[in-house]
Amino acid sequence: MSQANAQALSPQSAAAAPPRQRRQTSDRAIAWLFITPTIVLLVVMNIFPLFYSLYLSFNDYSVIGSEPPKWVALDNYEKILTSERQRYWHNFTVTGRYALLSVGLQLILGFGLAMLLREKFRGSGLITTLILIPMMLSPVVVGLFWKLIFDPSKGFFNYLIYTNPRGGAEWLSDPTLGLWSIVIVDVWMWSPFVMLLCLSGLSAIPDYLYEAAAIDRASAWFQFRRITLPQVMPLLLIAVLFRTIEAFKAFDVVMGLTGGGPGDTTETVAVRLYSEAFLGKFRTGESSALAYIVLIIIIAISNLYIRALNRAREG
Amino acid sequence: MATIELINVEKKFGDVHAVKPMNLTVRDGEFVVLLGPSGCGKTTTLRMISGLEAVTGGQILLNGRDVTWERPSDRDIAFVFQFFALYSHMTARENIAFPLQAQGERREVVRQRVEDVSRLLRMEHVLDVRPGALSGGDQQRVALARALVRHPAAFLMDEPLGALDADFRETMRAEIKRLHIDQHATTVYVTHDQIEAMAMGDRIVVMSDADVQQVGTPAEVYHDPANLFVARFIGSPGMNLVPGRYVRGVLHLAEGATYKVPDAWAPSLDAATRGDGDLILGFRPEAATVGVDSAIPATVYATDLHGGYTMLHLELGNNTIIHARTTREAKYAINTPVRFDLDPAMVRFFDPATEAAIIPEVRA
Repeated sequence: MSQANAQALSPQSAAAAPPRQRRQTSDRAIAWLFITPTIVLLVVMNIFPLFYSLYLSFNDYSVIGSEPPKWVALDNYEKILTSERQRYWHNFTVTGRYALLSVGLQLILGFGLAMLLREKFRGSGLITTLILIPMMLSPVVVGLFWKLIFDPSKGFFNYLIYTNPRGGAEWLSDPTLGLWSIVIVDVWMWSPFVMLLCLSGLSAIPDYLYEAAAIDRASAWFQFRRITLPQVMPLLLIAVLFRTIEAFKAFDVVMGLTGGGPGDTTETVAVRLYSEAFLGKFRTGESSALAYIVLIIIIAISNLYIRALNRAREG
Repeated sequence: MATIELINVEKKFGDVHAVKPMNLTVRDGEFVVLLGPSGCGKTTTLRMISGLEAVTGGQILLNGRDVTWERPSDRDIAFVFQFFALYSHMTARENIAFPLQAQGERREVVRQRVEDVSRLLRMEHVLDVRPGALSGGDQQRVALARALVRHPAAFLMDEPLGALDADFRETMRAEIKRLHIDQHATTVYVTHDQIEAMAMGDRIVVMSDADVQQVGTPAEVYHDPANLFVARFIGSPGMNLVPGRYVRGVLHLAEGATYKVPDAWAPSLDAATRGDGDLILGFRPEAATVGVDSAIPATVYATDLHGGYTMLHLELGNNTIIHARTTREAKYAINTPVRFDLDPAMVRFFDPATEAAIIPEVRA
């Protein structure tokens, strides 16, 4: 009886089924609908250029020229690493010095600020927020503003650090100070980021560790060295990793401030890459090779840091 | 080793007392347990002794030296925290070595002392493991070793077994007790577990509502509770407390039942009630014996077998349930009327108004 009923009902239920079926298949379809644009964008904007530029790095090619890419194998790399290495090496040392100075200073300043803001006091929230403002500005805007601040006749930076009535240092046009001015701006802009990471690391250290240390008769310095520093180390390393990668890509602030000058004293790898790729002869093949060298260096550095990070976490 | 003296030590937060003025002397080598429900001020007291918490009044003497305002590091005490407070980024060995290194001990001395203490606690095999990978018991051993390694004058322990599994507590309890005896170390131990307190303490300080209720040996607080709180809090179940009206030697309980008080008690009870007044009768479950021609009638409410013995829950009327301990062979059906007697040496009386125990003029 019930079987017969079920059979009798089945055409009806089949008629009722399509909307349910459609919904079932449409779940998948909707998923694809959401994912496809992202994938298309990713392939068109990231993955294809990534591999195409790898291909171009083995070719002699200029994007404004009429010649098609000509396969030259490792010639571009050979040029950068051997025959024209002097100026490229200069770009790498500038970048390295810049990265070392700015990341180092950011660590000291950011960690110091975090230690100061660690204890909550009246207005500490407001002060923290104010300190974070530079980080939120556009780098180009920052570059243009600091260009005015550094200006020897109109800017107030010299006025702030010393008062030389006959006019102070020419920050942006002095070959030795040029790099420092970029470092100063980068430190001003990104120390808050390091501070933020350190603050979250510091606030995660439980109070009872310091109580235990007080009972164990550890001095303040011993507590800092043996408890605070090791406990914050993983986040400190993350800050170093982020800032080092950023420093290697340093472009916008440099362009905004010095444009690589005076001469080529502040010409970082990224600035050089830009001028090779998009100025003058548009040497697309060679600049692709340079970009790949930078990529390999960044991956190598990141790997070192991530290893250090894992060591700090697990010992 | 050391003596610890608290003289009118108190802690106030605003107008609220966390610890009311308190006096206590811990003798050299003594194991004193601060016992009480959570929020009674026992941990605050311990933290004040350690210096982690500042007092708002009174004095703390360590070996006769006033340390009230000294830093924890200047007090020569060790503290074992409830959740161990181990340094998570160091191995067990580094954790134990920490207090020695903080004092700038020579490397050789540090190595030797860490080895000695880990042998004492039988934990050499975990020395190179980080706390996160250790069992609760081994973490506890590391915490104890870190406290022991410095040979401090006194040990303060804040519920050190609180974070351990029940079956492991027993083992660690014995270890701490044994350690205390071997080291002859003055120890103040905080717990909310009265069984732990009874098992470990030379003396127990029972605290409630920021105040000391009674200080005494485990036997004293068990048999002679100073007030109703201690009577209820100590023992599981706590002391049976039966209200009644006392008229010249006889306590009238609910529903016409009477209990003739032991002769030795009569004079003190007469004095306390002026011959006629309300009293609370208190007795431990093992003081009651069920018998055919016993004095007090009751009804069996429930029985539970506890393995070695049976706990009888008897209803006296007026919704008063008392607990009586009988042999494990004893079997009573629910609602059976029974009669029971009380061991005259084990009854106590309390004043319902003050909640304090009535002190017998001549101890029965």
